Amino acid sequence: MRVTFQEELDQLEATLQEEGELVLRALRGSLNALAQQDVELADEVIAFDDEVDDHYLGIEEGIQSLLARQTPVAVDLRLVLAVLHVNLHLERMADYCVTIAKLTKLVHDSPADETLMEAFEEMGGRAEQMIRVALDSFAERDLESAETLPELDELIDRANRRVVGHVLSLGSDQEKLEWGLRMIVVSRCLERIGDHAVDIGEQTAYFVTGEFREFTDASH
Amino acid sequence: MPDMESAAAAPVRIAGVDERVLAEREERVSSHRRDVLFDVENLRVSYAGVPALKDVSLEIYKNFITAFIGPSGCGKSTFIRCFNRMNDLIPTAAVEGTIRYHGADLYGPEVDPVEVRKRIGMVFQKPNPFPKSIYDNVAFGPRVLGWKKNLDERVERALRQAALWDEVKKRLKASAYSLSGGQQQRLCIARCLAVEPDVLLMDEPASALDPISTTAIEDLMHELKRDYTIVIVTHNMQQAARVADMTAFFSVDVDEEHDRRTGILVEYDTTPTIFTQPSDKRCEDYVTGRFG
Repeated sequence: MRVTFQEELDQLEATLQEEGELVLRALRGSLNALAQQDVELADEVIAFDDEVDDHYLGIEEGIQSLLARQTPVAVDLRLVLAVLHVNLHLERMADYCVTIAKLTKLVHDSPADETLMEAFEEMGGRAEQMIRVALDSFAERDLESAETLPELDELIDRANRRVVGHVLSLGSDQEKLEWGLRMIVVSRCLERIGDHAVDIGEQTAYFVTGEFREFTDASH
Repeated sequence: MPDMESAAAAPVRIAGVDERVLAEREERVSSHRRDVLFDVENLRVSYAGVPALKDVSLEIYKNFITAFIGPSGCGKSTFIRCFNRMNDLIPTAAVEGTIRYHGADLYGPEVDPVEVRKRIGMVFQKPNPFPKSIYDNVAFGPRVLGWKKNLDERVERALRQAALWDEVKKRLKASAYSLSGGQQQRLCIARCLAVEPDVLLMDEPASALDPISTTAIEDLMHELKRDYTIVIVTHNMQQAARVADMTAFFSVDVDEEHDRRTGILVEYDTTPTIFTQPSDKRCEDYVTGRFG
């Protein structure tokens, strides 16, 4: 039994889960900053991204070293490849949180729109749920749970379409249009976070089954 | 701009790749013929009545490199020796079951073991050149067979095939022992090739060599598989992963009651499958270093 190797694999996974927790904090921070139009909190979210990036780079370096020294195969190879991808998806999620925080700073003096704030809270809550499902199913090697992610994602996608419809209904006032476009980007960020959670689910499926496949085809 | 409806109805074409091309490619891959060279059925080998290997059935394909891996005592060396009837040389060895070679029973009564060993050459773990010159080592087989014509060309061709010619062409009369270990091993391969075999059996051919010589042997195997079928036993799993098209994993079946350890074939599949998604837990534990 290669004890050191197993420890290194365990460490990689532990760091990945930690990174996931950080992403959840970043997401919650960005949602609260948006809802409360809290510029200070938005700045914190932006700065917090460095911590996610540290984890991301640590995992990248860990994998590079592990591939160079341990030549993992079979279940170990699949785990390392899956961690490599999940790591990137988490890092991208955190970047979307930063984008939301930056947009919050740009629109903080505009009047809040109840309908949109409710939609964002709903989308954010679903995105959080999806991240948890994605992380837990990866940790538990739970294919069935991972396969529920596209259904959850569909709910975010629907909310995203509602946001777009709502913004379009606001009329053509220049100021409102600018604000509305920024809100569409916020919505798009949340929608993309959901997509990345689905992608993590696909990595769980790859790890468990050894087969590469998309849960849904591109036409969805 | 075409309207969306007619665009949706058109077949999907990306960068000139259409369904016909994809179908052809698919057919090419799936029809990459696996010509069976050896067909092994229910092989069982025992020494003095004690089984060393049992119930082995598999096919070895022409122009493939097939690797046998597994822990010590799993019978992989015993198995590779069956392919050129080397076990005949051990008085207590008994081989049951069948090995068909080009469809003919390798152990049939009309088969001459010497002819078998000419067509199915073997390279061993330790280079074992004869205490003769480089030239005479390679010329040995052809001379025994009475192939006296064009002997120089034959020796040169074999040395070239073994990727040794450039290193020895100016000192063919020097002793084979003056070569490095890696060169000696390639000389032994040249010696096999000089009698124009069909198959090369290699029993840990690189385990006594340094990494550079090992790479040379592995590169050579890739070259040789165009003309020969290669079967290799290796302890080095990464070597199997690097060179083999097919990999067979052998393990040991322990019978506590009779205190017997018998080699068995556990899993046989394409090398990428064995090293990415083996289906047997024992195979996975072995290739990932969790056992053996």
